[in-house]
Amino acid sequence: MNFIAHLKSSIKKHSEKNAFFIGATFYSYTDFAIEISKIRRYIANHVDDSEKLIGLVTNDDLQTYASIIALWFEGKAYVPINPASPIERNIQIFDITEVKTVIDSSEEPLYNTYHIIPSKKLQGIEVDLDYKEINSESLAYILFTSGSTGHPKGVPITFNNLESLVDAINAEPEFNLKPSDRCLQMFELTFDFSVVTYLFPLLAGSCIYTIPKHAIKYFYIFKLINEQKLTVLTMVPSILNYLRPYFSEINAPHVRYCSFGGGALHDIIAKEWSACLPNGKIFNYYGPTEFTVYSGFYPYHKDTHTKALNGIIAIGTPQKNTKYLIVNENNKEVPIDSVGELCLAGPQITPGYWKNEEKNSTSFFYYETDGGSDRYYKTGDLCLKDSDGDYLYSGRVDFQVKIRGYRVELAEVEYHAKTKLKKKTSVIAIDITNALGNSELGLAIEGDAFNTDYIMDYMKTKMADYMMPRHICFIKEFPHSINGKIDRNKLRTHFKSLNKA
Amino acid sequence: MTEEHIKLKIRASFIKILEHENFTLNNETTADDVDGWESITHMMIISEIENVFNIKFKLMDLMNMNNIEDLIKSIKASIN
Repeated sequence: MNFIAHLKSSIKKHSEKNAFFIGATFYSYTDFAIEISKIRRYIANHVDDSEKLIGLVTNDDLQTYASIIALWFEGKAYVPINPASPIERNIQIFDITEVKTVIDSSEEPLYNTYHIIPSKKLQGIEVDLDYKEINSESLAYILFTSGSTGHPKGVPITFNNLESLVDAINAEPEFNLKPSDRCLQMFELTFDFSVVTYLFPLLAGSCIYTIPKHAIKYFYIFKLINEQKLTVLTMVPSILNYLRPYFSEINAPHVRYCSFGGGALHDIIAKEWSACLPNGKIFNYYGPTEFTVYSGFYPYHKDTHTKALNGIIAIGTPQKNTKYLIVNENNKEVPIDSVGELCLAGPQITPGYWKNEEKNSTSFFYYETDGGSDRYYKTGDLCLKDSDGDYLYSGRVDFQVKIRGYRVELAEVEYHAKTKLKKKTSVIAIDITNALGNSELGLAIEGDAFNTDYIMDYMKTKMADYMMPRHICFIKEFPHSINGKIDRNKLRTHFKSLNKA
Repeated sequence: MTEEHIKLKIRASFIKILEHENFTLNNETTADDVDGWESITHMMIISEIENVFNIKFKLMDLMNMNNIEDLIKSIKASIN
């Protein structure tokens, strides 16, 4: 595993440098190496070699990050759980993965029925970064996402998957982290985007700046950008909506890179944000958890690279060794400029959902080409490939709805509503079921109520009648999932109560 | 506007966004002390207070706002 060897050499090489800034304290790479060594020594002495999956309580501290590297050096995988999530859900995750040992840096561990490694209370100052031989097909982590059946859905990622991600990003000349970089890490470690925000800085010897769990996230990010002069930002686009009223006060010439992912990046807001980062390159990354974080990107530039569909910035081209394929309902490739489901193949693809054969049989398929056969993952994202070879996001397969038999892309309805909206606020189009059991369109608008006649009048000029929203619901605050994405199922319940009224 | 008057208006904004009244706002009160006061509701409370007082906070002030006392100071500075 080259990336494990590089991790070791980077930690050694940058021993005098700062590795983390956590809760206003700097920790050096030497501090980090000592914590890694303590944890792996404990694992080597107390955990059976056959026990490969280890639970990890994701606190915001040095020991939690050190645990990940310690586990990898021992050839084991981490199964992260967020201490703020319901304990029943976390135990369900441990049950599904048959975890016996849990690394927990909390003062008072919650999971006492498991073998607890109290990572903050371990002793020792000796550094040992000699990693064990690692089987490339062994797991490096399992992340859980919400499943449609109500049970968490596990996505296992192997060391080889991670190696391929690192190889692909290293092959990209536009993105090169340096030891002098100061990088934002704003994600919960149960969210796959976190992997790139700790792994790449550690490989480069950069310093990682985390967000304390109790902080007001959006202002703390600005505080870090402003006071610590961050140079590399990795964010979900929803952050921008909150900072947007204050863009005129943000000027961060020190930011070199700003990467987005985990949601649609809108062209209007990207343009406004790029004015805050006069020297920053903006990357719009795409990739699902099932494909080891990133599969490709579009290099946005407010003047030269603004390709978008329905106001959503393009997702660009696949990265090294990744193949994109856009298919119809029968898994057959569609022509250029036609919308279909984006499927991904290559060495970053997960071996399959954890113990979920039913889901695996529908989410993965083999596609034959002249060169052979590749295993593809169906992303559920609708995309098109244009004649330049760029891929553009159009919406979700499951967000395509049928109204009176006609297909309606919800992203298109939202786009037209937003175009006319005077107030800068979030808008979501959603399909709801009326009293007769038919689908109708609803439009949810975040914030206080106002007269929407002018928007409706405009939309009527842009869309067929069947695409017009029949219900408008103002919601003070959109419900979000733990990863910051809008929770459409919860949003739908607002329309139900509206209908009852 | 007296400090008491400002506090009353702040409390009303908190109630409107958090949709409950189970809290006391003292100078030392922080997000940890009030149920539902977290990153997203904080942004909405700030926006509501900006509307109620017809002011616009500076991002620099918001960045260093740690408790109700800081909030009151920023409001006073903005309305004067």
